[in-house]
Amino acid sequence: MKARKKTNSQLFFNGILKENPIFRLALSMCPAVGISTSVMNGILLGVAVLFVQVFSSCTISAIKNYIHPRIRIPTYTLTIATWVTVIDLMLAAFVPAAYKEMGIFVKLIVAFAIITMRLETFACKNPVGPSFWDGVGMGLGFTFGMVALGLVRELLGMGTILGYDVLGFRPLLFFVLPAAGFFCVGLMMAVFNYMEIVYNRRRKAL
Amino acid sequence: MKEILRIIIGLTISCLVAAVVMGSVFAITDRAKKHNEHVKVQETMLGLLGYGKANPPPSELRFATIYRYILNENGNIRLGYMLPVFENGRETFEFMIVTPDGDFVEKLPLKIEPDAASEGPERETALKSALKRSTIFSFADSSIVALKGKDRIAYLLPSEFPGFKTFIKVMLALDARFSVIGLEIMEHEEDPGLGAEIAQPYFKNQFKGKAFDRLKELKVVKEPLPDEYKLALEGKALGKGAVSREEVDALRQKYQGKDIFAITGATISSRAVTDGVINAAKKFSYRLKALEKVIAAQQIAVAF
Repeated sequence: MKARKKTNSQLFFNGILKENPIFRLALSMCPAVGISTSVMNGILLGVAVLFVQVFSSCTISAIKNYIHPRIRIPTYTLTIATWVTVIDLMLAAFVPAAYKEMGIFVKLIVAFAIITMRLETFACKNPVGPSFWDGVGMGLGFTFGMVALGLVRELLGMGTILGYDVLGFRPLLFFVLPAAGFFCVGLMMAVFNYMEIVYNRRRKAL
Repeated sequence: MKEILRIIIGLTISCLVAAVVMGSVFAITDRAKKHNEHVKVQETMLGLLGYGKANPPPSELRFATIYRYILNENGNIRLGYMLPVFENGRETFEFMIVTPDGDFVEKLPLKIEPDAASEGPERETALKSALKRSTIFSFADSSIVALKGKDRIAYLLPSEFPGFKTFIKVMLALDARFSVIGLEIMEHEEDPGLGAEIAQPYFKNQFKGKAFDRLKELKVVKEPLPDEYKLALEGKALGKGAVSREEVDALRQKYQGKDIFAITGATISSRAVTDGVINAAKKFSYRLKALEKVIAAQQIAVAF
């Protein structure tokens, strides 16, 4: 890791494109398949993940020297669960309007693979600063992935975007059902892989 | 051995830290959270009756809450109703115990302020001092009667039933003849995009206006929701810009006799809500009739 140290902006964009949690790392597929039925769902879940990821990453990287290596996974889970609870309670108490929309999403997060994975591969080996940017990048990357999926599925399934009627009819109701989530994720992964191939080929040609 | 000890101590400390953090956040937020919930319930109650910011409730509107308890008096199961009553012009509560068949057993005065009655623990202390020590009691449910002056305009029933994942909490509003005025989903943890759609107007408003006799036999059908009905349920009228109440009402009227259209991909949640609503309405109408009979026989000056 130390051999090729990345700058903060590289860490930030790393999460969005090169190591996009959904399309490149293929992590947290359950929410990606289950919840990306509309753009709004994608945004809300994405923002919730972003906050939990950033807080957990910073916490773990701050206390990484005190964690016994054998119990790091329980500690990660504990940290994530604590942050989820804290955010959930804070939202409920001080921003009831946001809680009304976000409440169900925040509670889902404890079991997300992407957060544990970033803590394991990044936060526990790096200082707080880079961990913060990695967390922001990953959170935004997840949001981007969810919104992209939500856009395709909502448009094709319901004919709407963000609840506004765009097409005026429903092309394929199938797309809002869970099974179509797999198709969408698979197709998006293919697009990302193809983009990478083209990109690498062009770079070689230069 | 040393390794194990270090692991144990490490885990214990991290759990303790987490517990302290969560505990202190809970302590800080608990009051505000309760307050928010209280405000939300109040708003929902008024909203179900058609009052809001644009249409403020009249001053003579008031709510009277009946709390129902289940008692165990040395092995005999009894129902306990905490009734709001008028005594010398003041509103207090009286506790009436009846058998499950609706026969009167006894009534006891309760020492509790009307404002404190909405708090569960406060009611419990009042009940403990009023009841015999050996009696075991547990809270069952509450029903709210909305009154305008002396006329009952609605019954508001907070209700809870199992959904697809965990319990779904709703507030059901019935009119004086037990027809549905409205349904509001208070709390649920169904899947976003699927079961969570129960909170959408196009589902919950399907219950609006269903007469009691129709409600009792209501089923869930797995048919696509007709587009014009969906627009009516969402309060939008057909055609661009042409929003007329009559159109919406006419469409609602047209589908009045229809069953509940299930949400695509969430039949279980749709069924759970429908069954829960039917159950709540049926049980409430039965209990209220039994209760009123006893109240009339005992000549209790109830505040509803």
